[in-house]
Amino acid sequence: MSSASFNYIRAAELTDALARGERAGAAYLAGGTDLLPLWKASLTAPQEVIDISHLPLATITRSGDALTIGATARLSDIAAHPEVKAHYPLVCDGILASASGQVRNVATMGGNLLQRTRCPYFRDAGLACNKRDPGSGCGTRHGENRHAVLFGGSPSCVATHPSDLAVALAALDAKIVVSSANGERELALSELYPLPGETTAPDSSLRPGEMITAIRMLNAARFANHATYLKIRDRASFEFAVVSVAAALRIEDGAIAEARLAAGGVAPLPWRLEKSEAALIGRAPTEEAFAEAGALAIGGARPLEGNAFKIPLLRNAVIRALQTAGGQS
Amino acid sequence: MKNRTIARYEGTLKVTGQARYEGEMMPEGLLHAALVESPIACGELQSLDTSRAATLPGFATLVTHEDTASLKPSAATALIREKAIHFHGQPVALVAATTLSEAREAAKATQASIAARTALTQMGQALDQAYEPAMVGRFPASTRRGDSAKALSEAGLVVWRRYTTAVNNHHPMEPHAVVCWWEGKKAVVHTCTQAIFGTRAMIAHAFEMPPADIRVLSRYLGGGFGCKGQLWWPWMFWAMLASRKTNRPVRLELTRAQMFTLVGRRQETAQDLALGFVDGRLTAIEHDVIAQTSTHAEFSDSTAVYTRFLYACPNVTTRHSLVRTNEPQPVPMRAPGTAPGTFALESAMDEAAELLGIDPLELRLNNFADQDQENSRPWSSNSLRECYRVGAERFGWAERRARSAAKVGRWKIGFGMATTLYPAIRQACRARVALRVDGSLLVQCGTQDMGSGTYTALGQIAADALGLSMDKITVELGDTGLPDGPFSGGSQVTASIFPAVEAATSKLRAALASIATADTTLPLGGKPPEDLEFADGMIRSRSGNASERLTGVLARAATDGLEAEGESPATDHQKLAASGMGYGAIFVEIGVDPELGEIRVRRVCGAFAAGHILNPLLAKSQYIGGLIGGIGMALHEQAVTDAATGSILGKSFADYLIPVHADMPAFDIAMIDEDDPHLPGGVKGIGMLGTAGIQAAIANAVYDAIGKRIRKLPIRIEDCL
Ligand SMILES: Cc1cc2nc3c(=O)[nH]c(=O)nc-3n(C[C@H](O)[C@H](O)[C@H](O)COP(=O)(O)OP(=O)(O)OC[C@H]3O[C@@H](n4cnc5c(N)ncnc54)[C@H](O)[C@@H]3O)c2cc1C
Ligand code: SF4
Repeated sequence: MSSASFNYIRAAELTDALARGERAGAAYLAGGTDLLPLWKASLTAPQEVIDISHLPLATITRSGDALTIGATARLSDIAAHPEVKAHYPLVCDGILASASGQVRNVATMGGNLLQRTRCPYFRDAGLACNKRDPGSGCGTRHGENRHAVLFGGSPSCVATHPSDLAVALAALDAKIVVSSANGERELALSELYPLPGETTAPDSSLRPGEMITAIRMLNAARFANHATYLKIRDRASFEFAVVSVAAALRIEDGAIAEARLAAGGVAPLPWRLEKSEAALIGRAPTEEAFAEAGALAIGGARPLEGNAFKIPLLRNAVIRALQTAGGQS
Repeated sequence: MKNRTIARYEGTLKVTGQARYEGEMMPEGLLHAALVESPIACGELQSLDTSRAATLPGFATLVTHEDTASLKPSAATALIREKAIHFHGQPVALVAATTLSEAREAAKATQASIAARTALTQMGQALDQAYEPAMVGRFPASTRRGDSAKALSEAGLVVWRRYTTAVNNHHPMEPHAVVCWWEGKKAVVHTCTQAIFGTRAMIAHAFEMPPADIRVLSRYLGGGFGCKGQLWWPWMFWAMLASRKTNRPVRLELTRAQMFTLVGRRQETAQDLALGFVDGRLTAIEHDVIAQTSTHAEFSDSTAVYTRFLYACPNVTTRHSLVRTNEPQPVPMRAPGTAPGTFALESAMDEAAELLGIDPLELRLNNFADQDQENSRPWSSNSLRECYRVGAERFGWAERRARSAAKVGRWKIGFGMATTLYPAIRQACRARVALRVDGSLLVQCGTQDMGSGTYTALGQIAADALGLSMDKITVELGDTGLPDGPFSGGSQVTASIFPAVEAATSKLRAALASIATADTTLPLGGKPPEDLEFADGMIRSRSGNASERLTGVLARAATDGLEAEGESPATDHQKLAASGMGYGAIFVEIGVDPELGEIRVRRVCGAFAAGHILNPLLAKSQYIGGLIGGIGMALHEQAVTDAATGSILGKSFADYLIPVHADMPAFDIAMIDEDDPHLPGGVKGIGMLGTAGIQAAIANAVYDAIGKRIRKLPIRIEDCL
């Protein structure tokens, strides 16, 4: 069989899909909006593609404080879901800032989290890229690097994670439910996305055959009144984030009781701004507090030649996102 | 001539999918082709290993420079006759196979061994090697009027700045494609081209065959903008050679990624511009342009040409020079020259207005050129001042001062304006009209419709000339079997076809008049021809209450119908008594978020004067489309070359940004109708006007909003922070 073709299997049952998924050369297909373009550009060559979009995994269930969203739910369905809109508006904002209406109608929650980086060197089979081809070098580091990370890069890779949804979920401390033939485990987003190492840059820590089956949020509705997703880009729509910030606050008696901040477009994973979060606790939602959180957000940033502008941009974005989230009632 | 709004002649065919584009031809036995591309930017091809490819299923043939040796040398075959590699992605072979995926697999399996040489991948690496081309388009590369150096040294105010523009890649919706086959010694070539006759002439030259043995068809085009021309010919020739080798039809269609290297681009420029003023009047201009061209061909936009005559100024020096790099070849792109050139000139005028403490619009009016100083002749017509007046009024330019530093939500508001212009030119054209006995009319012309409305315009001119309704008209275009028509470029198709169709239809009118008036017993009998008018399918007497249906006239004495041909010459620019130029004034309101660097265009008002407007609906769509392209150049489009490899980065629409719907501002288009006695039918081109001027207007508005002068395109987030 040539690399231009693959076996297509429409999985009828989860157990069947998981068993097939363990085999070498297997890949799951959900909406296909990332897998198929990668395949067409010869960037991936699966031998067996297991279509999981018909598995009964597109449900939303609530139990107590927990909300569980099935992995194959369409982005557009989740963004329009009344319960998600009412209690988890940050998730809707993150989704609606992503891609286009057409893409969101097909793309799934699980697939979104596992889409691969938009680094232009990664996406061109003719160029050097350690992530795609370990040991070949990193075209970005000394090349065009406007898109590259400020935080968490390594000598081997400086690519950002492109998902908007992941940034919103990171701010809500969402857990990723992962299944395999051996059972289920739950990962935080920081566990799902490893930092690049000295020589390699894997996209996720999933083991062969593991499938994301659900996304779970615990008691995340407490941020519903003070949450926003801010995405900055060169055109008004249909572009990945240059920088983005998800902000979620819980304000009690005029003071910030809890703060969650995650940034996109600046790191290999949604980048939690823990110092900024800590600095906000117990403070009134004032300009001064926001400015301090903004200043703390950029500590430790390590720019490359073409992306230093993201430093002031991130600071300003944190301040703006906090103004928006903090100003809500 | 009437001014009428008529919907697209071919609109229904297109939206219902019935219009067949040339790449959609699927003849029996068709082979599909794919290109093998060079993975390096500079070197020499040593060998091609096809041993594995040839064993793959479906493999039919491979075409390389060796096959091309049979073609006659010319500029169009140079790239495919030699072994030199000039740019990353340059095709080194074409593979044909039974299916497209088999062709692509075989192309992938073909190994090129190339001896690499050091590539020069950035214009900035070799500015010291810039050289002056002989010409920039049809203009001299350098000009000098008066003594600008002296005038600059004596000027009360000098604005001297460098402006730069990025590479914009051509991306018509429809990718380049060819479906071709041989019928004995004759060739049939279905391809997207802006010039069917030019394409036929090049095939005839390369294959050394009579033009009459070649049929080139291009009946619908999904956009051209300047890229469906010469850069496509080499790969089209390879498809024809593959077809000849296999004796089967062959189809080649470029991928979107290949369009980033093979179809042309608006060249990168670095422009040094100096303006000298005495008492608010321009006394000196120097405009020096450096631009990129490839190592295998030469192209220079006429970037500084419009600086020679837009404003009244006694001392003007302009220069163009080129730097050769191992990057893809530039070609004209909508508003060639004027788009980058007005960005520099109209930004500098804004800077001067600021320094002089005068309104930018007033500065322009004060420096209006009441004649073409470069060619020392009057304008054929020039309503630029009217464009300024109407545009400013509709836009509300007067509020600019009062509104300073206004904020709407997170946006700081800025106003900016600039001028656009483009010369009115014409090419030779022939057209044939055939009136059938049922009163229907066939109009034929071997030009092509880029999607800009040529079918409609041609039909409308003929319908009006004979007083027929559009449903009686059939238009045929895009086939070398038809009378020679102009190439589609330079905004001149309507101006060129108009006199030819007029000539043809006036012959029909004369023939019909003589039949109608011959028999004195009939109502129109004996009437003088000048008394007759053609309207509503009738011939009528203007003086008396007499008329006859066209069908009646035809049935009486022309039962086989009537035919006529008309023809018109090209513009001879040297001999013109007056310079023809279309103008416009562009006003924009933008919002800049100063903390986040985002820029959005909120509204645009364009006031244009481009002779007589045939069909306001078509014209408006041309202006708006042009302005959108200009917004893209101002804020989004930028093809980036990887310095290390010479590869273009991000060869997809996810990476190469163009404006999307959400970026569309409100457009207000004003059209100022001109009576131009010098041009046939008073028609000037309109297609380019929207795409120039707007870039400077946006940059000027950014300055108005946040006080930052940005002298580079595209203007991005990092520039506004
Ligand atoms: C033009 C364009 C613009 C875009 N802009 C944005 C944007 O602005 N923001 C943004 O966030 N995204 C953007 N996207 C990306 C888009 O959101 C993702 O492609 C999409 O969400 C992926 O979901 P999918 O279901 O189609 O995944 P697929 O393409 O089916 O799969 C993606 C990857 O995940 C794997 N996979 C899928 N589901 C599972 C699962 N349940 N368990 C384990 N592995 C799985 C697949 O094997 C594959 O490797 C854009 C995409 C395009 C094409
Ligand atoms: S940044 Fe990472 S993904 Fe991009 S080229 Fe370097 S290694 Fe590859």
